Amino acid sequence: MDCSQFEELFHDLDRPGTVGFAERESVLEHAELCSRCAQLLTQAESLDLALSALSAQETDERAPARVENLLREEFRKAHAGSARRRVRWQIAALATAAAMLLALGLSLRHYERVTAGNGSASHRTPSLPPSIGSRAPEANSSDVDSVATEVAAADSQSSDSDSASAFIPLPFADDSMSTDGGAIVRVVLSRPELASLGLPVTDMSDTDRIPADIIVSEDGASQAIRLVSQSALD
Amino acid sequence: MEMSQKNDLADDRLLRRMLAGDEDAFTDLYRRKHPAIYRFALHMSGNAALAEDVTQEVFMALVREPGRFDPTRGSLGAFLFGIARNHLKKRWEQERRLVPIAHDSDDLDDFVASLPSGTGSGAAPASAVDDLDSLDTIGRVRRAISTLPENYREVVVLCELEEMSYEEAAAALNCPVGTVRSRLHRARTILLEKLREPRAARRVSALGK
Repeated sequence: MDCSQFEELFHDLDRPGTVGFAERESVLEHAELCSRCAQLLTQAESLDLALSALSAQETDERAPARVENLLREEFRKAHAGSARRRVRWQIAALATAAAMLLALGLSLRHYERVTAGNGSASHRTPSLPPSIGSRAPEANSSDVDSVATEVAAADSQSSDSDSASAFIPLPFADDSMSTDGGAIVRVVLSRPELASLGLPVTDMSDTDRIPADIIVSEDGASQAIRLVSQSALD
Repeated sequence: MEMSQKNDLADDRLLRRMLAGDEDAFTDLYRRKHPAIYRFALHMSGNAALAEDVTQEVFMALVREPGRFDPTRGSLGAFLFGIARNHLKKRWEQERRLVPIAHDSDDLDDFVASLPSGTGSGAAPASAVDDLDSLDTIGRVRRAISTLPENYREVVVLCELEEMSYEEAAAALNCPVGTVRSRLHRARTILLEKLREPRAARRVSALGK
């Protein structure tokens, strides 16, 4: 080993995993023969000692406690925010799932009615009293009392009939199950109109029209709807 | 190496708990990791307030963007040192006056040549540095480190004072292991020369009288 090789290695002599046993022996042998390199080695060892002492002296150096407090506060804020976001996402996901289930249920129900109606040889009559069935959407509220009775009759009849589904409360209804002073009106609706009432029927085209009965409250607001089989109109 | 792996595993467990929102885990992680970051920033800046700010910013980044840490690219410690280093560099650009940098270049040759007595390859040392472990000398070593060029100072702090391996330091500094090794050798050579300097100067002064 010569002096330049020694200078390549002597700084790493005490560093674990850098200089192998054989190289270490060569470095020490060279230092025994070369006074200049022996001096460098002594100085390097002294520097190692001083650096270790400095490192030990600074072991307890730490940032002030206020930094930890501030960071913990920041951590709480960051995680409170993400928890809020998680809850919002969960609510949104649940609402979407509920809407999809409702839409699926309605379209299945409608499909069953349509296929049942088509499969039947005899045309069923609507389960509504003729006086209600012919009522226009702009039902006059002057004959509200008689209508209320008719509504009850219509409901009882319709429950026995396959040509109309049960009334489904509309999303914005005040009290969808109350028919006091209200009226049932039969209307024919297109798909976009059904969708606007919260009934997204998927198995019909935009131009198809489907009959439905709507419970209209005394103030004229739609409260509930039921779909009526197409055959019921014939 | 085994110790380092155990530390990494402990850090990993704490980090996972922290990501799940466990504040105690974050506190433990901070208490484990922040002293080294603070000391590094203190040595690199020579300014306690700046070191405090940098430490805060490093862990703030961990809180706000924990996803930036990629364990396949190195240990958490190396990642945090990397952030600290970037923050220090930004600060230095803003406040150059706080940095006692003697030399910005990675090329030591010019710097060593500018020193008053011969050093490093070829030149024989002027005198023995025989009392480097005394308290006075520890203070001199600290001052000598603070005057090292930035590239050399950071490897001395990481490899000598924080006792990182070359591999860990290379990950923290985002450079090859060979670069860390050569910078450390040069840094140690400069330190030895700087520590001889006052004695030589004193001797010359005494002879003059």
